[in-house]
Amino acid sequence: MIFIYMKRLLTILLLALTITSNSQCVFNESVTLLPAPPYQPGDVVLVTYELPTFTGIFINWIHAFEINLSPSWINLTPITTPLNPTGSAGNWIWDIQHTFIGGLNFGPGWRFDNTGNVDWGTSSQGPFTMSFTIEVAPTCTADILNISMLVIDDCTTGGWTGGGGACCTDPAFQIYNGLVLPDPISTSLIYHY
Amino acid sequence: MKKTVEIFILVIGLVFWVGCATVFGQTTINPDTVCANATAEQYFVTNTPTSTYNWTVTGGGGALQTGQGTDLITVDWGGVSGLYLSAIEVVESNAAGCPGLPIILDIFVLSLSSNLIGPFCPGDPSATLVGNPAGGVWTGTAVSGNNFDPSTAGVGNYILTYSMAGCNTTINVVVNNGPVTGPIQHF
Repeated sequence: MIFIYMKRLLTILLLALTITSNSQCVFNESVTLLPAPPYQPGDVVLVTYELPTFTGIFINWIHAFEINLSPSWINLTPITTPLNPTGSAGNWIWDIQHTFIGGLNFGPGWRFDNTGNVDWGTSSQGPFTMSFTIEVAPTCTADILNISMLVIDDCTTGGWTGGGGACCTDPAFQIYNGLVLPDPISTSLIYHY
Repeated sequence: MKKTVEIFILVIGLVFWVGCATVFGQTTINPDTVCANATAEQYFVTNTPTSTYNWTVTGGGGALQTGQGTDLITVDWGGVSGLYLSAIEVVESNAAGCPGLPIILDIFVLSLSSNLIGPFCPGDPSATLVGNPAGGVWTGTAVSGNNFDPSTAGVGNYILTYSMAGCNTTINVVVNNGPVTGPIQHF
């Protein structure tokens, strides 16, 4: 009797592992930060992100790159737009905010505007390289500086429903997680002429 | 005796302090001494061009005259002698508007006074000069230490000065002509 339960448990475990493994769509992300950290208020940082390969599940396609910043970053500016090698008809466009057909609230970042099949992503598997600049906001306190990039497929956006709901579940890529310290204020003694 | 020693040490300290201020043109010694009713006294901190400075002047009859927001201010002081704690305070804010820690300076307002002497006649004995607070220096015609000698001075009006820690007070002293008596005549 106990062997039956163990077999069932093992089957469920293997199935879970298989799904987890298959849900991995994003591989070998990398990033460069110029200048390198640490950062102070007023610093402008060029972030260059690269995704060499995207492999969707059940022909899910890549649909968007969402940039997530902590509030201590300001002045997000796109510099380099990702290319679309051997991809679907359309373009990567910069967007501050967009609501996808499935209700997903997106932005800021780049999303693919498929001109053939509206609401689909692109069939391109990469590589995708993009860059943007951000500035460290003025602050009087020690604040968190966080940057992450979330790759979103057209299953998640609701544009493609043919995969049975098996969307990519890759977590956001942590680009940077640090602190910004306020400029030290060191006032001299008071002098008397 | 003990009181005298304390006053002596205070005076020596004040003299040294003024000497340093004279040589270096500025002082960071706390408390800072100013003369009673001094005007346009300049106070400053090392300037950071992107910063602003908020000054507060309290006590001692002090009134900030110019320079609020900058690294250098001028202050007029009152006439009541005494030590005023935290009389000057400055808070620096950087370009982001973040305030730093307050920097303070205590102020000692020094008011000098003295006794009045005279008028004298030639030949009168020396008179003692008394300055308050004690420990200052008397200067002027026919002054020797803390004494004024009318005989040495002769007939005239004199201004004597009592000085301490860069502050001064003056008194006027008069030595009058004596009566001129002619020879005895025989009618």
